[in-house]
Amino acid sequence: MSDNTHSTGQPGKEDHEEAVLKDDAEYRQQHETLKRQQAEDRERAGVPPEPKVGVYICRCGGNISDVVDVERVAQVVGMVPGVTVSKVHTFMCSDPGQHTISNDILEQGLDRVVVASCSPFLHEQTFRGAVSRGNLNPYLYEHVNIREQGSWAHKHDPEGATKLAIQMITAAVGKLHNAQPLELIKLPNHRKALVIGGGIAGMKAAAELAARGIQVILVENSERLGGRLNDLGRIYPSETLAGDLVNDLVRQVRNNPKIDILLNSKVTAVDGFIGNFKTVIEGPFGPGGGFDKRDIVVGAIIMATGYRPYVPRDGEFLYRQDRCVVTTPEYIQMMQSMDPKAKHLEYNGRTIRSVAFLHCVGSRQLDGIHEPQPDGTLNTYCSRTCCSTILHQAVALRKRFPQVQVYDFHRDIRTYGRGEEEYYTEASKAGVVFFRYNGEEPLQVERTPGASARQSNSRKQGPITITVKDMLTWGEEIAVPVDMVVLGVGMMPSHIEDLVESIKLPTGEDHFLQEVHPKLRPVEVSVNGVLIAGTAQAPMNIQETLNAAGAAAVKAAAMFAHEMVELNPFVASVDASLCCGEGLCVTQCDYEGALQLVEKEVDGQMVQRAEVNAGLCVGCGACVAVCPHRAMELNGWRLDQFEAMVDGLMAETPHADCEPQLVNLG
Amino acid sequence: MADGFTPKILVLATEKCAYPGADAVGKAHLEYPSEVFILRVLSPVLFPEDYYLRAYSKGIDGIIIASCGSDCPYHGAYERLAKRIDDLTIHMKDGGLEIERMRLTAICTVCIKAFLKEIAEMEENLIKLGPVDRALAEKLRQESRQRLEFSGRYGLTGNAATAERVAL
Ligand SMILES: Cc1cc2nc3c(=O)[nH]c(=O)nc-3n(C[C@H](O)[C@H](O)[C@H](O)COP(=O)(O)OP(=O)(O)OC[C@H]3O[C@@H](n4cnc5c(N)ncnc54)[C@H](O)[C@@H]3O)c2cc1C
Repeated sequence: MSDNTHSTGQPGKEDHEEAVLKDDAEYRQQHETLKRQQAEDRERAGVPPEPKVGVYICRCGGNISDVVDVERVAQVVGMVPGVTVSKVHTFMCSDPGQHTISNDILEQGLDRVVVASCSPFLHEQTFRGAVSRGNLNPYLYEHVNIREQGSWAHKHDPEGATKLAIQMITAAVGKLHNAQPLELIKLPNHRKALVIGGGIAGMKAAAELAARGIQVILVENSERLGGRLNDLGRIYPSETLAGDLVNDLVRQVRNNPKIDILLNSKVTAVDGFIGNFKTVIEGPFGPGGGFDKRDIVVGAIIMATGYRPYVPRDGEFLYRQDRCVVTTPEYIQMMQSMDPKAKHLEYNGRTIRSVAFLHCVGSRQLDGIHEPQPDGTLNTYCSRTCCSTILHQAVALRKRFPQVQVYDFHRDIRTYGRGEEEYYTEASKAGVVFFRYNGEEPLQVERTPGASARQSNSRKQGPITITVKDMLTWGEEIAVPVDMVVLGVGMMPSHIEDLVESIKLPTGEDHFLQEVHPKLRPVEVSVNGVLIAGTAQAPMNIQETLNAAGAAAVKAAAMFAHEMVELNPFVASVDASLCCGEGLCVTQCDYEGALQLVEKEVDGQMVQRAEVNAGLCVGCGACVAVCPHRAMELNGWRLDQFEAMVDGLMAETPHADCEPQLVNLG
Repeated sequence: MADGFTPKILVLATEKCAYPGADAVGKAHLEYPSEVFILRVLSPVLFPEDYYLRAYSKGIDGIIIASCGSDCPYHGAYERLAKRIDDLTIHMKDGGLEIERMRLTAICTVCIKAFLKEIAEMEENLIKLGPVDRALAEKLRQESRQRLEFSGRYGLTGNAATAERVAL
């Protein structure tokens, strides 16, 4: 193995290795001849010399090597054309592991690197760093996943897992053969942020950004700041007043010279990219408060557009049919506006002696049971805040009017937050009566037979009857007459369809804005420079909303820490020598300005050629597929690289069993 | 069909959804055959028809495009992808290559069961079908390249190019 370094560094494998080495002698010879031939072919064809690839295989402290025969893998891939070094290490991600990479690059002149270890989501960046430290372009690096998609997924098939590792590494080496060095895309950065939505999320994000010295434009489409909290009274779990929290935040943003607050305003156009968004805002900034437009360039956008409560259909649980069927926001308003000295609970002319709270109205909807929205979708998700809201309100009601009987109808109770489960305990102690039913057998809300809606207040029975098959009494069917029904409505995203369209924001199946990754990148969306804060993303309580808003602000501030914004180099690029200017690619691009035909001079003639604006291209590759000349490629993910990967996978390699065979790696 | 045939399956898994979904399977220590090759892609909308046909011609027996479906982070990409795969299956069908070898699906980051189900179903289909006809795939690949080149000349995409050529 003249130019191959194997440091398997693990004792106890000698017997096996000796056999392998003996049998491999002939194989190697054959392989060397082949390599020589290929080198000659390359020279004849004017192709640059074969790259020098270093392959590093991680044991992951046994996580990989307990299943995959890593030494065997190192040995076999060491024979793949181009591979100069193949090594095994117990923890590639450790300092010594990373050091080996940068050292080998410097000492052995490697110009490509492969690490086979865990999922790329964990350490791809780590190893790109190690490659950079060896003064090699970090994009001449390939990551092979032999743990999550290797040893862990094929535990009972060690031979298969070993063979798969060899094939995947061979594929990666193939991909690297066609790799090109890439540079991060650098663009000027406008240190100004646009926050859309002036609820608590928007205000918190604005305040945090301003505290970091960043100029903020806070746009709110209603006439006041505070969002939904303006309609709440005491809030769980702190039992403080929503108004106090809003006032506190309003003070922070109002008295801040770094924050421009635009009320009754909306963002009507967004163009551009991270560091350089060109936006148009419409609002009463004209003379005498007349409507006018402003063009504002910002570097980052925070979406804090919040939610709207679910509005039940007419007749859903008698909503809008009985005057005492209300939603939770309406109920909270009603309690807020009541005379504090009132001895009895009265609403719309009815004395309320019993109240039923219903959970999951407009949330956790089931196919075939619930009626879909007009657009055909079901709100299958949990709105997360309704359970605590209901129990919080139920406890308060029992305390305020002990004579009012309170019933709670739920499928499940999810008081997940800190200090929220206590409301459940409290409610039980306060005498709230719980009923639990199966979602497949929904409860019925009907007028009590014989009761007229305008019945006098002297009646005994409530005019509304709820019938439920109660799981807490082993399926007994129970009919509960009540005076008032409170529908615990869920959350739906605000109507921001126009912004979703103009900023090209990704939304989930639930129509809320969707983050890049729920755990690793929770406040970013796939559009660079756009962040999400609060309930525009998903149902959240106040604490979660403020956490998310703080995170989004800090994330935006971090983007502003640099003079220039750096973008991932995975964008489309045009090979001018192949482009014929037919423009099929342009028809495939949904991102305005990302890909255009421009006039260019070629050999003294004016012709049309495709041109990519790297700042606007998102790297989807839709344009690549249609180019008849393969002039269009996605940097870092070229078609010839994907083809080389298939070739690598299909290359016949020695089988991983103990009897190595002679095969042609060509 | 050859005895002991183990189908080779190529999974093109999106970085945002299906690839982490496949990771989740391993993290749960659930298993699937080791002749399933998972390649990470930003969006499979990148691939021209001939890419898939070339893979078959190299001996890949079945391809699963594990996309993000309606959760695709790129505007319009999923719709374009779906259209392309529709066109591809038409060409496969016309050319006599079994369309069961191609599957477009969506796998989310936690869709462990869906991932395993897709693999199992493809595996089952391929065992019934046997190894791919590589020569046929190569012939279809060449036709597909021609179609693409033709589309360039006449500024057409997809099936329109085929229709137009027939009309000419
Ligand atoms: C009935 C009920 C009771 C609740 N009680 C509690 C409680 O006691 N404790 C608790 O922790 N949580 C509670 N919550 C949850 C709480 O309401 C939310 O966590 C909080 O309001 C989220 O704030 P936000 O800023 O994300 O959204 P919002 O409050 O909805 O604010 C969004 C703002 O954005 C503005 N906006 C929307 N679209 C645009 C646009 N296109 N352009 C400009 N501006 C726009 C809106 O006008 C609004 O001002 C309750 C929820 C409900 C439904």
